[in-house]
Parts: sequence; structure tokens; C-alpha cells
Amino acid sequence: MRFFRKVTCALLLMALIAVPVMAQGSQESGGASTGPVEIKIATWTSNPDQIALLNSFVDEFAAKEGIEINAEFESIEFGEYNTKLSLELQGSEAPDVFWVLETSAPAFIQSGLLAPLDAELAEYNPEDFSAKAMELWQSNGVTYAVPFSTSPFFILYNADLFAAAGIPTPEELVAEGNWNWDTFRQSSKAIKDATGVWGYQTVDGGGYDVRILHNLCPIIRSYGGDAWTSDGQILINTPESAAAVQLFHDMVFVDGSVVPPGDQSNFFAGVAAMTAAQVSRVSNLADADFAWGVAPMPAGPMGDVPIIGQAGIGAFSKSDNVEIAKKLVAYMTNESCVARMAGIWPPARKTVLESEDFLTSQPLLTADQMSVAVASSIETGRVLPSHVMYPQIEVESRIIWDRLWTPDADVQAVLDAVAECYAKYIK
Amino acid sequence: MATRHSKLARGEALTGYLFIVPQMLGFIILVLVPLVMVFIYSFESRNLLFGNMGFTGLDNYKTLVEDDLFFLTLKNTIIFSLGVVPLNLVLSLALALYLGAASAGTKVVRSVIFLPVITSGVAWAIVFKYLFQGGDAGPINYILSFIGIEGPNWLHEKGWAMVAVVISRVLKNLGMNVLIFMGAVMNLPQDVLEAGRIDGATKPVLFWKIKLPLLMPSILMVMIVTVIGSMRVFDTIKLMTDGGPEGSTMVLVYYIYHQAFKTFNIGYASAVAVVLFLIVLLLTVIQWSLRRRASFYED
Repeated sequence: MRFFRKVTCALLLMALIAVPVMAQGSQESGGASTGPVEIKIATWTSNPDQIALLNSFVDEFAAKEGIEINAEFESIEFGEYNTKLSLELQGSEAPDVFWVLETSAPAFIQSGLLAPLDAELAEYNPEDFSAKAMELWQSNGVTYAVPFSTSPFFILYNADLFAAAGIPTPEELVAEGNWNWDTFRQSSKAIKDATGVWGYQTVDGGGYDVRILHNLCPIIRSYGGDAWTSDGQILINTPESAAAVQLFHDMVFVDGSVVPPGDQSNFFAGVAAMTAAQVSRVSNLADADFAWGVAPMPAGPMGDVPIIGQAGIGAFSKSDNVEIAKKLVAYMTNESCVARMAGIWPPARKTVLESEDFLTSQPLLTADQMSVAVASSIETGRVLPSHVMYPQIEVESRIIWDRLWTPDADVQAVLDAVAECYAKYIK
Repeated sequence: MATRHSKLARGEALTGYLFIVPQMLGFIILVLVPLVMVFIYSFESRNLLFGNMGFTGLDNYKTLVEDDLFFLTLKNTIIFSLGVVPLNLVLSLALALYLGAASAGTKVVRSVIFLPVITSGVAWAIVFKYLFQGGDAGPINYILSFIGIEGPNWLHEKGWAMVAVVISRVLKNLGMNVLIFMGAVMNLPQDVLEAGRIDGATKPVLFWKIKLPLLMPSILMVMIVTVIGSMRVFDTIKLMTDGGPEGSTMVLVYYIYHQAFKTFNIGYASAVAVVLFLIVLLLTVIQWSLRRRASFYED
């Protein structure tokens, strides 16, 4: 019995000592190897075709540089992207290259987590990038990330439901010069009344929570309002903004034609007639069992002011492979790569944007549709307002925005409260 | 002989210590060290993006005292616990008493009740989010419409959202408490119960005067565990309501998550976490002392 106990003790001790030593040994052997360069790239897409395209750029870059790269793509869910990325950037599993959300660009730049890229970009005609598109990604004249996507929101519609309701499609209304928020509202209600199907689903169904400004800003801006401006003016509670928000509120609670909060009905499943989307979402319609079309965002009293969703790509400033990561970012946003991404993520490079190839880059859209709904919107659209304190603004204002999503909400009072919240951070 | 006994005792002690070393290492690395670090971070201006911006003393705690949202989340946490704990205790005790009396079909009922415990919390919350959809789309509202009730927009109306998350949470964790209570019910001393019956005790008297006092140690233990569990709720809130509407389901743990990982304010989140730790500690001490006073029959 005593012998058995001694053996057990010895084995336990050996196990306790051996496990960390073996782990250390394996780390050392890993670190000492002179194999391919390991590059981790964080994105919020999990689409295998899109990942394959990005991976092909890495392979081309490796061949150009004469090095071997093992690229690991980490797909992080969009809603958790900033949370997970910021945690990884503080640990040992940080990506070398990562996508940056437009709303968090100022915070990431100011935190010093993004490496300056101008020296690497110099090789690939940086003047070709639209100055307007680069604004968000530069600070004091230094470029910290490159917008690989400058993608306007437009309206996707279910043509079968428009036909069933016997009303003109958005594209027909565009041709008539009669596509505005009033006709948009009428169409949405007509479809709900005639077919029982929702007229409109907010962008990705997130218009009441994670995408409030994506949903409201196109209406607000085309009415002459805004959330706030880059020079610190808060416009969310101006009469123009209030009129725009009232229109949307009435669509939800008076007309009952918009997929309401808490309802998971989805345009892509055929249970809503319209939604706001970007080019990258069009691939979801490849196997749609209904006829569909695209139209620009409706116009308001101040014209058509679509929202442009931007996404940047940058190199982690504290990465062990920061020099390679910076070069890789510059390569992935050169003219050739950007042209191949254009059908998914519309470019910020003028040469690509103005080329005929861009209009035929998305196989599911015609050149006319790309021209009317995408290319022209890139010219007229603007990115969402951003701020270095955007995360705080978003979290705190979200609680106030919730007051809007009841039938008897006082729109002006809610917007005044939102403005008060914004004023705490925006000066 | 004494020396030999002492050697034997030392050997046995060593064996025991070696067996608990892996567990203790895990506890120290994964619990104790982070706990100490949270205390330290709560005195710093620490941001997930910007790093440590220096020692700020009690600044985070001063902010906390002036933070309306903190007090709202504290109130929500108390409401959530007051909803979950009594419901869970009453239902699980009632079910345990029913299942403890070996009636037909108890095996099936027992399995059905325990099923949610082994179901992933994430899957459970997603399913309940679907069930609690507003309007006609929600299965629960659809069923209610058959009896002429127009259900609310559960997860998007203040008040109802808390009701929905409480129901979801109670049903999720009921099985574990039923199991604990069943063990206690089945071990009730039959001679005492028999004596009560011979003395003419009716069923209610038997329950209130004999069974309940005998079950008190288990009830208090289950209460402590359920209270602590309800103070730490996260997945249900995150997936069903995201703290809304209007912050009406934002509980303390979710507020800590928001501050730390949505606004990157690790220092302030740590201060809130310290307060939560102290609240749970205080509740546990109170309940533990209550257990000693109330458990007349505990050895």
C-alpha cells in the first residue's frame, strides 16, 4: 500500500514538473524555427470566397517579396468585432493585420495600435485614393489604415411583392424621378396592405439597436439634419432631423409597414419587400427564389444623401512582423487587388472607381444598377459621423434611443435627450 | 509507534496535498490572481485600447457614486434576483416533493425538467428570444392569441422584457435545484414523518411543521447558490435583450461587460466588479449566518 502511494506521489510530481517543461520546450522549438512567416489577419467576414480572395493577395505578396507566408484568417462576428479585437491586441494572440470599423477608426488611431503606412503606400500610387475617402483614416497627415471598402447603402427590393401589390418598383420610380422618402413610405404601406408582408426591413434588422444611425442617417441627412458634425455641432434634435425620424417612426407605428423591433422577419427570406444593404450583401441573393432589384436610397428635401459604410485595413503597430504587415496592407490595397475586390467592396481608388470594369465587377448586378445605386452614391454619400469617444456615445445613447421604439413616443423629446447625451462627449 | 504514526500521517497529508495541487494551481492562476488584479485595476485609469494611463486612487469609485446607470443596473439586478430566486425555489421544491413521492411518470418528468440544465445557455437564450418575439411572429404570442390575449412585444417593452428574461432563466436552471431538493426529500427521516402521521398531522401540517424545517438546510444552500447565480447572469441578458429596452434589463455583470469591452473602460469596469464582489460576499455571509440560525436539524 505504501509502495503504491509512493509511486502515485512520484508520478504526480513528475506530471506536474513535466507538463510545463514540455510546454516550454515546444514553445522554444516553435520560436527557434526559421520557417514561413506567420501572419494573422482579423476580419468580420466569414464568406469563404471573400477569404479565398484575400488569401490570394497574401500569396501574391509573398511571391513578390520572395518569402513564405502562412496566413491565418480569423473571422470575428461583426457585433463582437471591436470587443474581441481589442482584447486580442492586448494579449499574445494579436493579429498582425486587421480590419477596422469606421466608427472606431479615431479611437484606434489615437491609441497608437495602428502603424503608419505612408512609406509602404508610396510604392502603389497613393494619390489615386480619393482624399474624401481617406479623411477618416489619417491623422496629422499620416495614414494609419487604408479603406478597402467605401460602400454606399442602397435599397434592395423584392420585385415579386411590388408586382403583387400592383405598384411601380423603386427602379421605375427612379426612372420617373419620383423616388423619395414619401413614395418609399407609400410603397412600403401599399405592400403591407396588399400582401400582408412587411414593406421594409432595416439594415440587417439592426435599425433599432446596433445600427440605429445606419438606419436613420440617410433619412435625417436628406432632410437637412445630421447626428453631429466634425466641427462639434450636434444636429440630431434640429427640426429637420426630427421630421426625418418622425417619418420613420410613423412607418413603424402608424403604417405598421416596417418589420418592428423584436420581429426577426428577414428580407433575404422573402418576408420583407425592401431593405437597405451594401454590395457585399448582394451575394445572399444568388439563390433567391424571387425577382429582385436595386435602387439608390430615396431622396429627401435636400436630395439623395446615402450613407457610405467604410472599412479600413491596418497593421498592428506592436506586431513582431510589423514591417511585413505594413507592406502587406499596402499591397492588398494596390490598384490590382482593389479592382478584384471592387465587386464586393467598392473601392476608394479613383482609377478603379471610374473604370468600366468596376460597373461589371459584381456579376449579380447590371452595369446600370452598379452605376445608379453604387457608383453615383459613392460620389454623393458620406460616412457616418465618428468620434474618438464613439463607443461611449453609442452605448449611452442606445438606452435613450430605446424610448423611441414605442407607439406613443415623443420623437422631439427623445431626440433632445439623445442630443444631451451626445453633448457630454462631443465638444 | 508514535513516530511511525506521525510518518504515516505526514505521508497521507503529502498525498492529499499533491492531489489538490492541480486544482489549487488552477484556482490561483484563474481566480485568485485575476481577482487581485481587478482590485488593482479599479484604482487605475486603464483602457483596453490605450493601456494603463496611471494610478487614479478612488476616482473610479467617485464616478461610480455619481453614475445613474450604475444605480439603474443595481436596481435591475435586485429586481431580477427577486424574480428568479423565489420562483425558482418554490417551483423546484414543489416539483421535488411531487417527484419524490414515487408516482407514475416521474422518470419522464424528471428527465424533461433536467434537460434545460444540460442544454447550452446560448442555445437556450436564442430559442427563447425567438419564442418571445413580438406581434404575430412570436410563438408565445401566437398561443396567447388562441385564448384571446394579445401578447406584448416581450423583449422590447419595459417591464415585459424583465419578465421574459426571468422566465427563461428560471426554466433553464430549475432542474438542478429540483435534483438537490429531491435528494433531500428522499432522505427525510421516515420515522419522524410516520410519528407525525400517527399523531394526526394533516398533509399541510406535515409539510409546514415537519418537512419544511427538515428541508431548511437544503433550502438555504440552494438559495445561496441561486442568489449568487442570479447576480452573475450574463448570457441570457446578452442574447435576449442586450440590456434593453432603455437599460431595463441591464444587470451589473452586463454593465461590467459593457464598460470593459464595449467602451474599453477597464478601470471603471473593475471598480463596478469590486462592488459586485462585495455585494455577493455580503449576501453570502448573511445567508450563511441565517443558515446556522434556521437549520435546527443540521449536524
